Formats: sequence, structure tokens, C-alpha cells
Amino acid sequence: MKKRTAFLGLAIATSLALVGCTASNTGSGSSGGVSGEPVEGGTLHVLQNTDFSHLDPAQGFDGGVNNFYRLIYRTLTTQGVGEGAKGTEIVPDLATDTGTPNEDATEWTFTLQDDIFFEDGTPITSADVKFGVERSLDPSISIGSPYAKIVLDMPEDYQGYYISGPLDTIETPDEKTIVFHLNQPYADFAAVVGQAPFTPFPADGDVTTTSIDQQPIASGPYRVTEYQRGSTLVLERNEYWDAATDDVRTAAPDSFEWTFGLDAATIDERMIADQGADQDAIAGSVQAASISRIQTPAIQERTIQGLQGCTTYMPLNTTKPGMDDPLVRQAINLAVDKQAVKDGTGGSQLADIATTMMPPTVAGFAEFDLYPSEDSKGDPEAAKALLAEAGYPDGFEFTLDIRNNPKMQAQAEAIQQALAKADITVDFNLIDSATFYEVIGTTSQQHDAAITGWCPDWASGATFLPPIFEGTQIFEKGNSNVAQLNDPAVNQRMTEIRAMTDVDEANAAWGALDEQIMELAPAVPLLFEKAVMVVGSNIAGAYAHAGFSGGIDYVSVGLASTD
Amino acid sequence: MSTVPSELAVETEPKGVLPTGSAPTPARRVITTLRKSPAVVVSVCIIVFIVLLAVFAPVLSAITGWGPYDYDPSAIDSDLGGIPIGPLGGISAEHWLGVEPGNGRDILVRVAYGARVSLMIAVSATLITTTFGVIMGMIAGFFGGLADQVISRVMDFLMAFPSLIFMIALLSALPAGNRPALLVLVLSIFGWPYTARVIRGQTMSLRNSEFVEAARASGARPLKIAFREVLPNLRGTIIVLATLAVPSYIGTEAGLSFLGVGVMPPTPSWGQMISTAVGWYAVDPMFFLIPGTFLFLTVFSFTVLGDNLRRVLDAGDAAS
Repeated sequence: MKKRTAFLGLAIATSLALVGCTASNTGSGSSGGVSGEPVEGGTLHVLQNTDFSHLDPAQGFDGGVNNFYRLIYRTLTTQGVGEGAKGTEIVPDLATDTGTPNEDATEWTFTLQDDIFFEDGTPITSADVKFGVERSLDPSISIGSPYAKIVLDMPEDYQGYYISGPLDTIETPDEKTIVFHLNQPYADFAAVVGQAPFTPFPADGDVTTTSIDQQPIASGPYRVTEYQRGSTLVLERNEYWDAATDDVRTAAPDSFEWTFGLDAATIDERMIADQGADQDAIAGSVQAASISRIQTPAIQERTIQGLQGCTTYMPLNTTKPGMDDPLVRQAINLAVDKQAVKDGTGGSQLADIATTMMPPTVAGFAEFDLYPSEDSKGDPEAAKALLAEAGYPDGFEFTLDIRNNPKMQAQAEAIQQALAKADITVDFNLIDSATFYEVIGTTSQQHDAAITGWCPDWASGATFLPPIFEGTQIFEKGNSNVAQLNDPAVNQRMTEIRAMTDVDEANAAWGALDEQIMELAPAVPLLFEKAVMVVGSNIAGAYAHAGFSGGIDYVSVGLASTD
Repeated sequence: MSTVPSELAVETEPKGVLPTGSAPTPARRVITTLRKSPAVVVSVCIIVFIVLLAVFAPVLSAITGWGPYDYDPSAIDSDLGGIPIGPLGGISAEHWLGVEPGNGRDILVRVAYGARVSLMIAVSATLITTTFGVIMGMIAGFFGGLADQVISRVMDFLMAFPSLIFMIALLSALPAGNRPALLVLVLSIFGWPYTARVIRGQTMSLRNSEFVEAARASGARPLKIAFREVLPNLRGTIIVLATLAVPSYIGTEAGLSFLGVGVMPPTPSWGQMISTAVGWYAVDPMFFLIPGTFLFLTVFSFTVLGDNLRRVLDAGDAAS
């Protein structure tokens, strides 16, 4: 259920300014630029447009904040470090391994490492992990990752620790062992326990539903020492974190400091100028207008890019008259000029053309293009032929829901212009940014199509295709199956794949299912958008993490020198 | 011969007895005076140019070969974020005023179609507010009493309202529909009191003038007096008010489109183009400058013309 809104925060929250101790300039010719090894120490300043959604891991749920959580929290497992697939691999974190399932994968056992502590020095026990999960199920805060709710075996009316008390189906036979009982076989459970709501909190402490959002209790390498919402956030070392227990986090800087509320254009200017303290800064994705200004070799040297790991697509509402005909939907797929959509988004540096629903960063990704055209510019003639076959020789008209922001409007106009060549008229329904996802997620309010995006919660087709194409996941409100596709064969196949216990086999099956779904054309995959970030000249260890919407991996980044 | 005590005093020759008898002499006098002012001549030329641009936008589109919605991927550099290829925002023989970054649409053709939208909305809103404002102002001023109380309070209410904020809220809440029509409606709702207030004041003073007294004494019915005696004497005021209303509506329309609640994309609109151009100011300043210049010139010309009209009509007052 991770939506485009979520990672927008990250995109805006771009620039990290590392102020720190360094007053000197470039100096050291030592390590290999932005990808080199960071040195210990220094303060990393982060300049960001908007504040994080929540410091409470039960509540925050987007690429930007999940990336941040890894600095202050640890979970049983987590995503790896490194570019591409290395970053999205699930690796052990607090646990010694990625868990042991029983035969049908309905019962999972994890063992905690030794020498793991909270920020006050108390050891982290299995009871703390159990409490963290139970707490996250409280209705007042359970707005984050939903997987605990979906797969844990629990009474239907369970309402979290504070209302319903402890959950019997999470067992803690001793301080180091925790056993989860699931309501279904779930081969990918190792990824589920890496979701933020599985963060441990002291079971015998004074933790309440709201206290964590105000004052987080750290289990990771940093703790929050100062926080003014919308303004500043300071992290300093958690002295009880032991690097020997942690293979994932480099945690090189001594502290991080965020400054929120900066204009996106201002951030771009500062990152390009690279003056003073901004030399020790990193930033999120630049705006399209800044792309041409970062082409000089000096700036290219400190530019990082990576896929966001999401797909921008146009779901076609299969319940609407006309749109319920696969031929019409295929015609639209054929006619869309994806090259123009890409140019409107910022060109080749900010996006790749998508022909599949699943992005290449998802395990099991299979490349195919069922609706090809020369240079991806659309094939209006073929589209017209299909439309005529479907009974619309004089053309077709539909309404597209779009969000009131320049990028999405540029994408929508490109689609409108391309479809006009195939006699398909597109009317826009411009929706306010704040309510856009609410409107298209309400089946009675959405129109014939929309432009939206989807990011997997972890790199598996299981968190990508079912939420957006499974018939049982059509809800009146909060619906993510915007296409309202309810195809028996597709539904059936999804159930089968979920029952597979071999993760690799399941991943491959998701890739094949992607093609099966695209034959029905319930959506037009448009783009795999990229993050392009300019970092300060004194930054080292920065790379785009595919698991966090292409953001710079906070736990790996640091300073090149602290002179 | 009494002068009208008003900031917008206009011709008040006591010749109201000739209802439809237009006054060729004053009209000619005004035109002659205005023609002597270079500022007015330039303004009128600019207005005529923009109106021609708007009227002949399709012709222009046919000449240049680019429609207002045509993409030209060959004019932009996809690898550089979609900036126009060539100097000054892609100005070339093909695209006379360059192209929009990101899609390569021809700026000249879009500016011309944008002028259509702007002028159409501004002129329609002016017609509606002037007509409605004059009627309401005359009723309030001429009949006084309860009618005046009600109309004046409504005007006070609307004028005290934070209209821009309300327009934004209203336009965001309204369904997409026909945006230009909605804009005209919203602009008119908040625009008419400004006309009506002035008309009311003028009418109140005219009501007591001798020729109205005379008409009343001769047994004319009130409505007849209002429209045949008073209204002709308000012509000057109305012309000035309308001339000054046009640029203010053009400005407001551009402002609303800039804020994303005005004309919907892809309909070209100056405000929208300026809004899109903001992010590109550093790499493609022409995209910002061209629609900005057109907007500035239009508003400026109408304002100069309106001010001069008022000055000349005021002076004519004293002269006649």
C-alpha cells in the first residue's frame, strides 16, 4: 500500500547539508569521490523540503521515512546495502538469520543476537519485539505498513496491546527467541518482519501510543536529541549501539542534522553552488528544470542517480462503459506516446520508459512489450483499427483523473495529445493534491482512468501486483486496485502463487503473471522514474537505494574528510 | 449647469431631454484629445495587436504549422531534462518565439490562443459586471429607501469579502466543467459591486438635478426617468469603468490560472504558462519572459487607455 504520495516526501526532502566540523575545502584526493569510503565523525546536515511523516515506525510508511528509520531503529531483518538488487535483498539485522519457518511456513522462529541495546542501555529482548508489534496494532496508530495486520494470526477484534492486551500467537519462549504464528502460509515472512512496525520498544517502559512519535526510543546507531516539527531534527550517536552486531549500517558521521521547510528550487541552487557547509551536504532528486545545469563534469562527479523502484502508470477503470472492453484498453495502450510522457517528466535522466507493470528492481522482473511502437511514440493507426473492431470507429472519449501538480499535468497532456491522434478524446478531471489519492481510491468518485504510481513494499511481486490488480482487493474506500480489475484467472493465479513456499519460484511466477495481466490491458505502464541527486563535494559513501524510492541510503553515507 | 460631485465626474451637459440623441460633438472631442497623446496611441496599437493576435490565432497556427497542442520532440533535448534546443529558448525559423521546455509546444501559437482565453474571459466578465452593476447601482441610487439599503448591504458584504481567497476556494471545490464560464461567473460575482457603487453615487446626484425634476413634473414614470434621463448621463462613467475593469480581470484570470485554479490544462493561458515557467527561470528565461511581456503589455495598455479616458472626460466636464 505504499503510494506515490509517500515517496514524494523523499523526493522533496532532498538535500542533506553536512555542516560538521569541516571548514576546509576539497583537499583530500584520497577516496574515490561520492562512492568512496566515508570517514568516521563529522555532522551531516540534511536540508529537506517537508518534515518526515512520523517518527513512530508504526505510523510512517514511505520510502523517505523508512530510510530514516534505519538510523534510529533496528528490526529483526532489514534490506541490504548497495546499489540495485543488493539493496533490496532481505538480510538479518537484530536476528541472527532470516528466520526459520515450519513446514508450511505458517510458524516462523527468529533468534536475537547478543549485545543489542536500547539507547538507555537496557538489552533488547524478544519481549520487546513482541511488545513493539502489539503496540503497532493499536487502531489509533496502525496507519503504517499493514502486513502485520494481514498475516499474523490474531483474533478478529484484536486492537493492540493497550486495548486488547498481549497477543498469544506471538510466543517468546526465552529472552532471545520469538515465534510468530501466521493465519496463512507466507514464504516471504522474513521481509514482513523487516517492516517498520516490527521495531522493538521496551515492554516494561512508559511507552504509550503517542510517546514514540514525540520522543523515539532508539535501537539503531543514532538517537533523537532535538526535534522541532517542521523545522529541525538532530541525531547523535547512540553509544549503546555496537557496530559488531550490525553488518548493515556503516553509520560513519557522529551526528545528523535535518533542516526542514526549504524550497525545492532553493535546495537545487545550494547543491549546485556547493558553497561552505553545503559541501558536506546531500540532497534528494533535483527538479527537471535543474537537469541541464548539472551537466558540467564537476557537478556530474557528485551526481548520483538510481531508479526509484516504482512504476508510474495509468490504470483504466475496467468497470466503466467502453473501458470494460479489453480492445479499447489495448488501443489506449498502443496509442500512448511514452516518449512524450518521458520528456514531460524531465527526459531520459529522470525517467525510463515502462512496458511492464513491475519495475526492474522487483525480483522476478520479466521484460516484455505487448504494445510496441517505433521509439515508443505510440501507434495511432493500430489503435484506431482496434477501436473500430471494438465498435468505436468514430473514436472514444474518457475522463482522466489527474493530480494538480506540474509534473502530472505534463504527463497527462502528453497522453492527451498522443491519444488525440487515434481519435481518442481525453478530458481532465483536475483534483487537488491533498485529496487526489482519496478520490481515486473511492470507487464511486473515480473516473475512467487516472495517473498514479506504485512502489513495492519490498522487492517482490507479492507486494506489487495483488494490491493493484487483485479482485478481492477492491474496496469502496481506500482502494488501490484503481483499475478495478476482477479477472477470475488472474485472481486464481495470485492465490496459487501466494501458496508457493519456494520464494524464487514465486518471484518468477509474479513476473509471468505481469505479462498475463498486461494482455488484459487494465493499465498503461508509463515510466520508471529515477532519482537524480547532487551531493556536496565532501560526501562519501552515497548511492541511490532501490528499496527507499531511490533515496541516498542514510546508513551508508558519510563525509569524505573531517579536517 | 451643475457639476457632479464625484471622483469620477463625467459629462453632465443638461441635455438629458434628448434620450437617444447621442452627442457626436463630445465623442469627437474625446477622440481628438486622445489622439494627441502618444501614450494612448501606443496603448491602442498594442490592444489592437493583441486582439488581432487572438482573433487570428488559427490563421497564425496555419502559417507557422504548429497547433496550440502540438508536441515537437525534435525541438527539445530529452537528455537534458527537456530544455529547448537552440538559443533564447529555442527561437528559430520554425518556432518564432521558441518552444515550451518538456514538450516542444510553440510558444507564439500558445500565446495567441492564450490571448483568446484571457480576452474572452475578461471581456465577458466586464460585460456582465457592467450591465449588472449599472442596473443595481441605478436602482439603489435612484429609488433609495429599502432597495438602496438591501443592495448597498449586499455590495458592502461582497466588497468586504476576501474575494481572491474565496475565488480560489470556490474554483477548487467546483467540478471541472466549463472552466472559462465558471471563471467569468466567479469574477462577475465579486466584480459588480465596484461598478454599482460608483453608479449609485452618480445616480443619487443626478436624481436631484433640474432635468430630472422637470421630467418628474411632466409626469414621466420613475423607470422611464431612470433609463431615459439618468442613464445617458452615466455613459462616460460606464465607459471608463469598463475600460479599467478589463485589465483587472485579465490580471485576476492570469493570477488564478497561475495558482492552478483557473483555466484547465491543456487550454493555453498566460497565467498557466508563467506558472510553468517559474521552475525554468534559470535555464530558459524566455519561457517566462514572453507570456509575462504579453500579459504586462495588455494590462498596461488597457490601464493607460482607461486613465486617459477618465482624464479627458473629466476635463471635458469643466470645458463644456
